[in-house]
Amino acid sequence: MASVSFRNVEKSFGSTKIIHGIGFDIADGEFTVLVGPSGCGKSTLLRMLAGLEEISGGTIAIDDHVVNDIESKDRDIAMVFQSYALYPHMTVADNMGFSLRLRKADPALTKERVAHAARILNLGPYLERFPRELSGGQRQRVAMGRAIVRDPKVFLFDEPLSNLDAKLRVAMRAEIKALHQRLKTTTVYVTHDQVEAMTMADRIVVMQEGRIEQIGTPLELYDHPANLFVAQFIGSPAMNVVNGTLRREGGQAWVDAEGGVRWPAPATARGQDGQPVAYGVRPGDLGVGRGADARSVPAEVIVVEPTGAETELLVRVGASQFVVVLHGRTQAEPGETIQLSVDTGAVHLFDPTSGIALAA
Amino acid sequence: MKGSMLRKATAEAKLLLIGIPLAIWTLLPIYHLVLFALSPKEQAVSGKLWPEHPTLHNFSMVFHQQHHYLGHFWLQMWNSVLIAVAVGAITLFIATSAAFAISRLRVKGGRTIMNLALFTYFIPAAFLAVPMYKTMGNYGLLNSQWALILAMVTIATPYSIWVLKQASDKLPLELDEAARIDGATPLQLFRLVYLPLMLPSLVAVGTYALLLAWNEYLYAFLLLSDDRSTTLGVALGSFLSADDSPWELLMTTGLIYALPPAAIYYAFKRYMVGGLTAGAVKS
Repeated sequence: MASVSFRNVEKSFGSTKIIHGIGFDIADGEFTVLVGPSGCGKSTLLRMLAGLEEISGGTIAIDDHVVNDIESKDRDIAMVFQSYALYPHMTVADNMGFSLRLRKADPALTKERVAHAARILNLGPYLERFPRELSGGQRQRVAMGRAIVRDPKVFLFDEPLSNLDAKLRVAMRAEIKALHQRLKTTTVYVTHDQVEAMTMADRIVVMQEGRIEQIGTPLELYDHPANLFVAQFIGSPAMNVVNGTLRREGGQAWVDAEGGVRWPAPATARGQDGQPVAYGVRPGDLGVGRGADARSVPAEVIVVEPTGAETELLVRVGASQFVVVLHGRTQAEPGETIQLSVDTGAVHLFDPTSGIALAA
Repeated sequence: MKGSMLRKATAEAKLLLIGIPLAIWTLLPIYHLVLFALSPKEQAVSGKLWPEHPTLHNFSMVFHQQHHYLGHFWLQMWNSVLIAVAVGAITLFIATSAAFAISRLRVKGGRTIMNLALFTYFIPAAFLAVPMYKTMGNYGLLNSQWALILAMVTIATPYSIWVLKQASDKLPLELDEAARIDGATPLQLFRLVYLPLMLPSLVAVGTYALLLAWNEYLYAFLLLSDDRSTTLGVALGSFLSADDSPWELLMTTGLIYALPPAAIYYAFKRYMVGGLTAGAVKS
């Protein structure tokens, strides 16, 4: 159990800087997810914490001890790789006990720790098998078992579920989460999948191009995205965004978008009358109104996608396309014009050039 | 359906068309070897397809060293074995260490070493025979089996490094990283992870070096001139130094000399096919 802190961490490959002075803290026992598009530097940051990449600048500390110059093996961490990285010539039991064997631990203790980890992960029947004789999910569990046996201060996961099929991924997601709740070991988890980040994390660090865009709990990021990037990256389907001009009159506020569309905005919204803004609203915060009124927005239905509990509509409003998620079913048909109602409390306004949220 | 069968038959016919001449081409010399070895002396060159009275007498002559050319048969056989095994082992040791350092530890200057190793093959080994003789003479190693062992290791190593380096590059890097995090030192990584996974390539390269030394004639002839220190290969060559060479004994000894390589090949055949890394990483 340990805390982790990054202070002004930088990484360059040759003259190319790929991580630009990142700093944040991870509390003891916290499950932190680093998320961002490919190439944002999240895996590199994790590998620097693991000691697999040199740190070009700044410091990384585990439990207040700076580990910059400490070798991986002495950092008391365990890592689960995307490719599992199991030793193919060793049985499952030998794979899991390898770190203890290197430490010259008592074989009886090793056996006990391996058996314990195998119990947690339901790997008991497979201990004498080789990795090639296991399914993808089982291999993934062995990789986790190898980490558990170590009983490290910090667990590191590098996109551990990317190689699994969709159904298994959801199951393993829950397993990893349950494992963390049971062991309460500080965990740093890297993924490009925002759904994984949302469902698993205590706290999410959203990264882009070697910088942190926002840090917060999943719901903080969802409800109060600091900028357009986070707003559109977190949440599925992604937030609808349209550029327009903020207008205020008689205690009401709205955004005039191209095509003469008037999007209702909260009266409390910051910003001057006539200021250009990016107007964002999540698909779930749009509804289909009963009839036209002053605050509703006419839209033409393009596609109707019923999924059972929810119905997803793709609609055209003015010159833009919007996604609407309805809880329940709808009679709307493609080609029909419907009236969209907007939950103005859930509207997000951003500066269109900097992308930064205008505080509500 | 019919078309595909016809295509299959045509493909097979083509393979046979290439395969049959190739088989005859390969087997004909071996057939002659066996024919001579089984023939009594007077019938050895009779031109018959099979000897009228096949005999194992020639083998008995060879094994009991009953000819002056065969005076040191067992000693020379032992020399050949010793030199071949030593060359195989030393080459493996050097090439494996080099490949591990260059491919896995990413030692600086590794590329240069690789290129230098390749460069050695720009000069044919035969051209280097005389300089090698001179060098061994300077070290006082002439007529010592070390001379041939060192020379053959020099010739076999560059290619072996290349092969092992290529094979090493195919092992997933995550395995090393996982081992490092698990607490392995480079030596432990080498012994516990790298060597077991490289086994098929090591067997292939070891066999290559061993057979190279086993079959070597020129260097063995030059560096080892004493009948008691030379290899069986060179001894076979000396059969031809007289006009009335005992062909049937030459061929019998040749046949015996060809058996160990064949045995080695069959023993290690299964290692030459990979597949040991299956299941390490998802590709």
